[in-house]
Amino acid sequence: MNNPEFEFLFEENQNDEYIVFDTETTGLNPKEDEILSIGAVKIKGNKIITSETFEVFVKNSKEINAKSIEIHGIRECDLKNATNVKEAIEDFLHFIGSKPLIGYYLEFDVAMINKYIKPMLGITLPNEMIEVSEIYFEKEITLIPQGNIDLRFDTILKNYDIPNMGVHNAVNDAIMTAMIYLKLTTK
Amino acid sequence: MVEGGINPHANKYGVIILSILDQRKLIESIHPFELLSSSTLDDLVKKIDIAYYPKDTLLISKNLLSIAFYIIIKGSVNEIIDDEIHNVYISGDSFDADSLIYSKGDSKFVVDEDLICYEIKKDDFLELMQNKKVQGYFLSDFISRHKHLKEYDAGGDLTPFLISKVSDIFLHSACVVDADKSIYDSLVKQKDLKAKIIIVKDGDNYSVVTDTDLRDKVLLGDININDNIRKVASSGVISIDINDFLFNALLIMTHSEIKRLVVTEDEKIVGVLEQLDLLSYFANHSHLVAVQIDKANSLEDLKNLQNDLRNLIVSLKSKGVKVRYITKLVSALNLKIYKKVFEMCVDESLRDKCALIVMGSEGREEQTTKTDQDNALIIKNGVDTSIFIEPMMKLNKALLEIGFPKCDGDVMVSNEFWRRDVSSFKKLINSWSTSMSEKSVQELSIFLDSKYVAGDELLLKELLQYLRRTFHSRDDILAHIAKAVLNFETPLSLFSGFVLEKEYNNKLDLKKGGIFALVHGVRTLSLQYGVEATNTIERIKELNNLGIIDKNFATELIESFDSLSAIRLGAMLESKDINQSNYINPKSLEKIQRDLLKDSFKIINKFKKFMSFHFHLEMVS
Repeated sequence: MNNPEFEFLFEENQNDEYIVFDTETTGLNPKEDEILSIGAVKIKGNKIITSETFEVFVKNSKEINAKSIEIHGIRECDLKNATNVKEAIEDFLHFIGSKPLIGYYLEFDVAMINKYIKPMLGITLPNEMIEVSEIYFEKEITLIPQGNIDLRFDTILKNYDIPNMGVHNAVNDAIMTAMIYLKLTTK
Repeated sequence: MVEGGINPHANKYGVIILSILDQRKLIESIHPFELLSSSTLDDLVKKIDIAYYPKDTLLISKNLLSIAFYIIIKGSVNEIIDDEIHNVYISGDSFDADSLIYSKGDSKFVVDEDLICYEIKKDDFLELMQNKKVQGYFLSDFISRHKHLKEYDAGGDLTPFLISKVSDIFLHSACVVDADKSIYDSLVKQKDLKAKIIIVKDGDNYSVVTDTDLRDKVLLGDININDNIRKVASSGVISIDINDFLFNALLIMTHSEIKRLVVTEDEKIVGVLEQLDLLSYFANHSHLVAVQIDKANSLEDLKNLQNDLRNLIVSLKSKGVKVRYITKLVSALNLKIYKKVFEMCVDESLRDKCALIVMGSEGREEQTTKTDQDNALIIKNGVDTSIFIEPMMKLNKALLEIGFPKCDGDVMVSNEFWRRDVSSFKKLINSWSTSMSEKSVQELSIFLDSKYVAGDELLLKELLQYLRRTFHSRDDILAHIAKAVLNFETPLSLFSGFVLEKEYNNKLDLKKGGIFALVHGVRTLSLQYGVEATNTIERIKELNNLGIIDKNFATELIESFDSLSAIRLGAMLESKDINQSNYINPKSLEKIQRDLLKDSFKIINKFKKFMSFHFHLEMVS
């Protein structure tokens, strides 16, 4: 850790809040690809605090690949007013604090964030990680012990009757992931 | 930076935030939120959270004060009062303004299917209520809310039919002359005013002089033009109030077969409404259909009219005409057809020895598209009933050919049971008043809606009087008849999609579920209190006049009946098969129609409770 301003990341989590987040990237290789946007929402108890949503669009060093535009719908011109990477990541860290992080294939999103904070702060994200596809797997496997569990996002949405928010973007995906988490854990 | 993170709605990065737009769109699609200004809506969206509640969560109850206004994204919630499901809320619905505004209520809200919803916090909601339009919507009682929804349903194209009044149309000046005036002077005045008719005032009485009167009595007759005008006046005056609806004017003209109406305001004559103007105003074919029926010379002619009739209904409905007016018009036209067929099949010498009546929905004038034939023939005492066999078989066959479907219960003049003389009908009435069988109640119910079509009207009058006398003060048997109201459960719970009748592809039965209870209950009350009207809405109005049900409840019942009928008419026009047309799938309805349907079912439930109490139905087994 080379920046005391971010020591709060290591503080004990004081309240029962969680963060669900998702990133949109230029591709699936954390080594080469870059973050286009980050979306995050808080969960408190049984509520998704959409009134305090986090969403940021990030300026990129390279041109966006045409294929990936089809997936995330973010065009060059959408990023005209985007913020630079450093500021975006810092804002994100302030938003998440030391709260546990929830996500779907979180490993990838965390690796994307780490790629930036490692050189900035000399650390990787210290937060507790909660993987929804893992909770889903454990829940399903008790129902069908030898079964093949389909872990695709859309399958989980369908099985748990979660509304599809339509457009795929970081915030919507985070909200849907949050709904899955609530449905898996609230009973 | 604000503690807790960035608020993206501040739009710090100047980037369009799609997800927020999605939420906004959803909220905007829910009435009455679309009434909010764009900036209020923006503020609102920023304050909304999403919550998840598993099945069986108790959201609001007497001891659990409401903390938020809920808008359902997915799942369903039951509102329960006194252990009975009072309402079901599903995707797109919202609740519960009352609990938030009054901080109390008798309702319990329980999650019935895992719920994902938006929450507007109590304080934010109350702030929203500062908006007059929103306030008006949530604070209004059932009737105004229902009307509000209906108007909204009618859409931006607020139809001329619904709102046009007599005062909206061009009226010809009325040429009113004193009865003592000479014919000559009257004609001069008529010419000056360019009036089509002369209205003759004789004290407090009015009569009319038409061109035909003048031709027949002055030109071709022996009356001198210097004689008093009263000498040529013949036809009586049929009038309509200037504030009445144009549609009613059309109805009166069709019914009375007249071409003009005298228009009054505060009971003073202010003008004359000409049929031609009215027709061009509406530019539809209802009157043309009527004229064509009159002109029809053969069954073939009548058969050819069926398409016109159907088009008429479709066009009236799309213009937003209240269903009760459509059904009345259609019934009036169908009666004309019946009359015509009667004349074609029954020899003139037999016509005054019998009375043809229609019963059931035709008798109540609540027929939209062709429903089953329900008809009977009353024969004068002392006349050989067998001479009517052949003409009635012919009549039945003719009706079938024109397109009036066969009655499954065989309630038709071709069936001996419904073709009797007066004494025999009286015996039948006696048997109804003593038998408790389901069949008797059914037959009685059908007969109670009898309406005269052709022949000797007095025969039916005599029977109806006899019927009322027979059932007078027979509360025991009346309760037994009323019991059928409770036969079918109101399908409120159907909205969550669990109890829909499987064999009909998840559709609910509008007739069984709602319309029947209302029609039958009102019919039974009408028998009890001697109400002569057969039309359900008119019966309700009469019952209100008699003080049996209060004004508010009467209006609720009428509005509900109208909504249910409208939704049913829509289904009928869409389906080919009559048996299918009573079934609708609530999920295929638009949100507003679904709300109207739910509201209506609530009123039906209230009515059932009223009937139970009124006839002590808990005690009848």
